[in-house]
Amino acid sequence: MNLNHIVYISRAVRPLTDQDLHELLEQCRRDNSKNHITGILFYSHGNIAQLFEGEPEITEALFERIKRDGRHSHVQKLIDKPIDVRSFPEWHMAFHPLESVGFSQLQGFLMPDRVPAPPDTLTIADAMLIELVRLAVFGPSTEPAFPSLPGPTSA
Amino acid sequence: MREQHLHALLHHLPAGVATLQGPDLRYGYLNKAMQELLGTDVAEGQCVADHPGVLPSDLVDVLQQVYHTGIPYVAKACSLPLPPQDGKESVSRCYDLVLEPVRDDAQEITGLVLFAVDVTQQEEARQRAHTLAMETRRLDARLRVLTETVPQITFSLDAEGLYEYVSPQWYYFTGQPPTADLNAIWPLLIHPDDRLRVLYQGDAARKAGTGWSYEYRLRRHDGQYRWMLSRALPELHAPDRPVFWHGALTEVHDQRELSDALRRGEAELRFLADSIPELIWTATAEGFIDYYNHYTGEYSGLTKEELGPTGWVNLLEPRKQAEAARQWVKSVAMGEPFEGLFRMRRHDGQYRWHIIRARQLADERGPRWFGACTDVDDQHRLREVLQVQYDELARTNRDLDTFVYTASHDLKQPLFNLRGLFEELRRSATFDDPEEEQLLSMVDDSLRQLDSTLQELAATVQDQRGLSAPVEQLDLRHIADEVLLGLRAQIQASDATVQVEVADAPTLLYGRANLRSILHNLLSNALKFAHPERPPVITLRSYLSANKQPVLMVQDNGLGLTIPKTPTTAFQPFVRQHPQVGGSGVGLYLVQRILASRGGHLEVSSSIGEGTTFTLHWFEEA
Repeated sequence: MNLNHIVYISRAVRPLTDQDLHELLEQCRRDNSKNHITGILFYSHGNIAQLFEGEPEITEALFERIKRDGRHSHVQKLIDKPIDVRSFPEWHMAFHPLESVGFSQLQGFLMPDRVPAPPDTLTIADAMLIELVRLAVFGPSTEPAFPSLPGPTSA
Repeated sequence: MREQHLHALLHHLPAGVATLQGPDLRYGYLNKAMQELLGTDVAEGQCVADHPGVLPSDLVDVLQQVYHTGIPYVAKACSLPLPPQDGKESVSRCYDLVLEPVRDDAQEITGLVLFAVDVTQQEEARQRAHTLAMETRRLDARLRVLTETVPQITFSLDAEGLYEYVSPQWYYFTGQPPTADLNAIWPLLIHPDDRLRVLYQGDAARKAGTGWSYEYRLRRHDGQYRWMLSRALPELHAPDRPVFWHGALTEVHDQRELSDALRRGEAELRFLADSIPELIWTATAEGFIDYYNHYTGEYSGLTKEELGPTGWVNLLEPRKQAEAARQWVKSVAMGEPFEGLFRMRRHDGQYRWHIIRARQLADERGPRWFGACTDVDDQHRLREVLQVQYDELARTNRDLDTFVYTASHDLKQPLFNLRGLFEELRRSATFDDPEEEQLLSMVDDSLRQLDSTLQELAATVQDQRGLSAPVEQLDLRHIADEVLLGLRAQIQASDATVQVEVADAPTLLYGRANLRSILHNLLSNALKFAHPERPPVITLRSYLSANKQPVLMVQDNGLGLTIPKTPTTAFQPFVRQHPQVGGSGVGLYLVQRILASRGGHLEVSSSIGEGTTFTLHWFEEA
């Protein structure tokens, strides 16, 4: 099966409320599971970044739709290329809700500090891209020395 | 039946109807609406003049005149107060009052018919329209003031592309008379290089029914062409095609010049970056590479798209990629410079060593990264070759030292045996010839010299090994005393005087064995090369130089020595200045080696027959 993945970053037109985020999460989960789209979306303080993977026609169409979405602007596509295998089993969204109560139980939600390390199926270049994107959205982590990148011996 | 029907109709007519009969105009018929209008105190048979109800008095006069002249009259939009009803306050309503004379068969006027038609709504609408017109006029005036005050030239075009209006600023700017034909002159004032494009773009936008935004040069009154930004939007009368375009012309000459200069500067920098045979790149604040210079493509054989925002890491050796990626992410997170030595793959698959350096530039345009990868492969290889050669040399040197040490050690035993045998021989043998007797003492001297040479050889090797010994704070007087104790026999034999003056710099941070070896060699030399005609006087003085560096001076009044022309060959091992005096000749060589290896140097001044001064600079002057 042909597969493709796309990574972009963008800016929300206005800060998203918990309610907005909840709706976005529900909507994306519904659409993405229907279209067999997997990946992860980061949101923090108006910064948005997403990686999604799926069949090329579907990722292409999805990106066209995302580009036209009026809720964000400055959409910058960082990568769009064929991949051999999926690196994400599902689609997730990671953000800091104002009220974390209720979110923790939500399907597809992740606290940003619980985002798993980029899987080994990604190339180092793509794993680094994800790390940089995560850094751009959430800012420098307080955790020591980026444990999520694979160590030199594992490469 | 029909008359009754008609009567009912008349009675319920929404307009008021009344007949006024006779010259004194008495009320005749009053329909319902008229009765309500005039009020309840008006009844059939009464005189209008006595009971006018709500009718104004001047209307009563007019009624009389119409009756007398027989000319109908319409009083338009008469405001009549309505009688209070159901506790509501009295309100005025507007009526058109129609006065029509009634004639009999002989055309004589017998009375009047009065119609009252309620026109309040029409009147209100008219009032509103009037207010609106006033407001429009006011807004129009304001708009005119605004359009004529702003620095921009404003204009309106019709659907044909003809100018409907242009603000006076256009005339000031172009210097054209107010009578100028706009449509004819305007295109001629556009710079010839821009004219065709502007006319085409304007036409295209009008055909498509869209607005436009473009820049062109327009001739100013002084003949200079200035860059203008023309922007216009269509006025849509939905759903039809636009009928007007309204727009503004802004002078952007200075901005344009500035941005041209910026563009030129950027193009030049880019050209520079593309001309350098090094991999040069820039990255966004987030750490995504957004520019690779031309050489990067040449070196890697990959396009900018193939490399992508993070693809540079693919050029590194696979086992170093994760480490480099981690380092880059950390640099971006902390804003710290990136530096590392990596092997990078060339288009032909060969890996070459590169120093990758990147620094963050933070200015008002926000942080950006500038990086370069410098090919250091040749230097790296050279260094590797040198390192191998150095290691080999060091090993050879060590082997040599070991050999000398072992040899000197191994020779000691046969020498010892030889000496024992010789002693035995001297004790037992007798010589007839006294000159032959002297041979014995010559052999004895040679044996002693061989012994001391072997000892010094062993000492040299040992001292060389001691060069890497750790340093400690040493008391100079203490060490000097130890050494002098060892030389006590020679001092006594030569009746020498040794002065130790170390008060100015009493201590020294040095290797203990090294210091002892240096002092021993210099002092024993001074004793050995004493002048035969006078007892030796040796002075040892420790002091600080002008730069606060410790210095030791050793002065004697001995034979003196010849200083070689080239200082590098000053004291080679086994080269002896005074062959008549015993010694292996390694002493000064050793002193020099130790000093040099600890970062110092030896200075010598000497006069033959008068004495020698050695100045030991322990450390190189800063």
